[in-house]
Amino acid sequence: MRQVAVTGLYKAFGSHPVLTGVDLEVPAGSLTAILGPSGSGKTTLLRLLAGFEQADAGTISIGDALVDGPGVHVAPERRRIGYVPQEGSLFPHLTVEANVGFGLAVRERRGGKAAKMLETVGLGGFGQRYPHQLSGGQQQRVALARALAIEPAVVLLDEPFASLDTHLRASIRADVQEIFRRAGTTAVLVTHDQDEALSVADQVAALRDGTIAQCAAPEDLYSRPADPGLARFVGDANLLEGVLDGGAVKTLLGDLPLDPKAVPAGQPGQVTVLIRPEQIELDPGQDGMAGQVVSYGYHGHDAVVHVRPAFDADGLTIIVRVRGGRHLPVGSPVTLRARGPVFAWARDQ
Amino acid sequence: MAAAGRLAGRRSEQAAVAPRRARRPVILLTVSYLVAAILALPLVFLLIEAHGAGASQVAQLIFRPLTLTLLWNTIRLTVVVTAACAVIGTAAAWWVERTDLPGRRAWAVVVVVPLAIPDFVVSFGWNSLWTWAHGFRGAVIVMTLAVYPLVYLPVAASLRSADPGQEEVARSLGSGRVRTFVRITLGQAKGAILGGCLLVALVLLAEYGAFEILGYQTFTTEIFTEFNAYSFDASCALSLVLVLLSLLVLAGEGMLRGRGRVSRSGPMTQRINPPQRLGWARWPVLALFAALVLLALGVPVASTLYWMVAGLPPALSGGANVSLLNAAGHTALYGGAAGILATVMAFPVALLAVRHSGRMRHFLERSTYLVLGIPGVVIAFALSYFTERYAAGFGYGTSMLLIACYGIMFFPLALVGVKASLARAPASLDEVARSLGQRRLAVLFRVTMRLAGPGLVAAFCLVFLSVVTELTATLLLIPTGTQTLATQFWSYETNLSYSQAAPFALVMIIVAAVPSYVLGRFFNRPARPRG
Repeated sequence: MRQVAVTGLYKAFGSHPVLTGVDLEVPAGSLTAILGPSGSGKTTLLRLLAGFEQADAGTISIGDALVDGPGVHVAPERRRIGYVPQEGSLFPHLTVEANVGFGLAVRERRGGKAAKMLETVGLGGFGQRYPHQLSGGQQQRVALARALAIEPAVVLLDEPFASLDTHLRASIRADVQEIFRRAGTTAVLVTHDQDEALSVADQVAALRDGTIAQCAAPEDLYSRPADPGLARFVGDANLLEGVLDGGAVKTLLGDLPLDPKAVPAGQPGQVTVLIRPEQIELDPGQDGMAGQVVSYGYHGHDAVVHVRPAFDADGLTIIVRVRGGRHLPVGSPVTLRARGPVFAWARDQ
Repeated sequence: MAAAGRLAGRRSEQAAVAPRRARRPVILLTVSYLVAAILALPLVFLLIEAHGAGASQVAQLIFRPLTLTLLWNTIRLTVVVTAACAVIGTAAAWWVERTDLPGRRAWAVVVVVPLAIPDFVVSFGWNSLWTWAHGFRGAVIVMTLAVYPLVYLPVAASLRSADPGQEEVARSLGSGRVRTFVRITLGQAKGAILGGCLLVALVLLAEYGAFEILGYQTFTTEIFTEFNAYSFDASCALSLVLVLLSLLVLAGEGMLRGRGRVSRSGPMTQRINPPQRLGWARWPVLALFAALVLLALGVPVASTLYWMVAGLPPALSGGANVSLLNAAGHTALYGGAAGILATVMAFPVALLAVRHSGRMRHFLERSTYLVLGIPGVVIAFALSYFTERYAAGFGYGTSMLLIACYGIMFFPLALVGVKASLARAPASLDEVARSLGQRRLAVLFRVTMRLAGPGLVAAFCLVFLSVVTELTATLLLIPTGTQTLATQFWSYETNLSYSQAAPFALVMIIVAAVPSYVLGRFFNRPARPRG
């Protein structure tokens, strides 16, 4: 069952079109991430969902109700949306508890619902403090509790973790996921961070040039992106030329089995092959492709190595992710071997 | 390529869809236009008068040697006093807000209080004690001491809300203390300094009482004189020149300010920045503050007290006391009513200015400032003319008319205060409140007004203070038989009955000091929420 449906959404500011026909379905109880680079219109999309802006064309439905469409524009306060802006935007003149209780009726406020919500986000006992007495992560949790208190039809989060420290971000992300899962909340989250989108969402909608380029489960988006550009956008990608023959594809890195869901479906011809850096093994033995290390980036848990093939003069480098940390000086000779299955797109002739 | 082509095709196809009605703040715009129209009445009247007088007659009245003298007097005074106020106001604000100056919280209040003392009482204070405080020299001293808080207040507020991180970044980039102050601190406060200077210049263009006492002739004093002599054409012609001067000041300020809009980024709840250490410099700075307060506050107060003591027996007679209470009551009543009126009128315009962008709101905002440059005498005359001529005498000669006149005159002051206060209530908070199911009106009361509330009180106080110290329009529009503190003071002062005038001056100072204290406290408070 879908909770939010968007069709043909168009929005321009002045003569500058921002959204040019967005279609999106958000299943009930799911967390959908809208992933896009800055300026891609993702915040505009969120503001349209919230009702702060009105679409030029297209429709938005929340639950069974049409909230934006020809002749229809339901005010934000009547949409039952929980909105969590980037900076939290807590009311500075109210205590934490009063912030959380802001959207509740007077009776509910007396009933201690706000305090209960604060417990849910792990901030029990903070009710009497003021926002400026909280850390950034705590403020963000309060903003979340405030949005959830009104039992919204959908929660909208605008880059909610962008202003937090890295370690805090991961833990709050996990908490939020857990809170949403337990409450069965439908949520739409906007982010420019592909790690965040892939790790937190049930479904990721990649927004590009004002339209949804692809909307899929994180694993699908990562391993079966709609086109090479998208493949690069959601992570490091090696895009190699290949020739498809039967179920296998011939590449620089040898013959590799093709992902059965790849579009060409075994039609012979020229293809572009996607090989993720973690699909490549470094120094597997004698039968790999020979190359030279051109850069080595150490990250503790893994390392990213750029390798130039020995016989290729096009300046192509292959990105390899290796676990652990054996240091490889620039210039070291290595051999590479890829593991399939790989994804591929037919090349324009 | 193919994808790009497809995309382009879709885009043009979509562009053909007629956009739905764009969201515009229709009610807000309408109300703002209405306010602007009310504010424009005096100018409209002026033009009607000029038209009635005929172009050649007006030209003849403008192009005479007197105009040149007035122009020279007005301009040189405006330039010198505005510059002095900019320096004093900015320096004082920086020392109070950004350094460890001993007693900075107390200074922050005391330094604002001179705004509460009417300009004509300051000039009375100096002129009645020392005869050399006269003419240009006297006018520079008196006006600088009387109006520098108009620069101090906005600059202090902007320094308090500015991002201290920028100064730290500048220091880390190898910029020294002085360079950082000039390039970063002054840059952050530039808008506030210019705004304050604009107010100072416009107040100077419209001042009457102080210059009359000091024997300094400007456009405004001459307009008053001509008006009292029933030469309406002449006062109308001179008013045109004065309004033109104000326009030039406005345009100049707009050009200096540039087009950039200041926006703050970063977390809403701010860290409080550590003050800069003054070290040994604190002593000379303290001396400067003491001197400033002594001159701006001490001299007029001491002088008033001196005259009161000198004429003790008559001042204590029963009759004088009754009229004192009576006059004080009227002053407070008019001030309160005008404060509410001006703040209410300023609210929609300020909301438009702070929350919406666009050429119309810029124009509206600018045009409403113009009022401050039109002398009270012209506004007062305009209203009585309108009520007498077009409204069949409705409201003519009543307190209502006087309050309306104050409301128009002091609208720009209220606007400054309301805008500053609305800036404390960002639109994102409104959006959150609405997403939580609150209607627009509820959001206005539960969020916007709560956050802007202290600022609204400050705006009200600014207007109240100005009404207490207003003389020109009051003299012209006050209902027959009624006296305010200012008018009663004036009639004694012009008769050289200094000791009888003194009690009225003192009460004026006291009545105005209360709101100025509130004002000082408001601007003094660190930007943090209330309990």
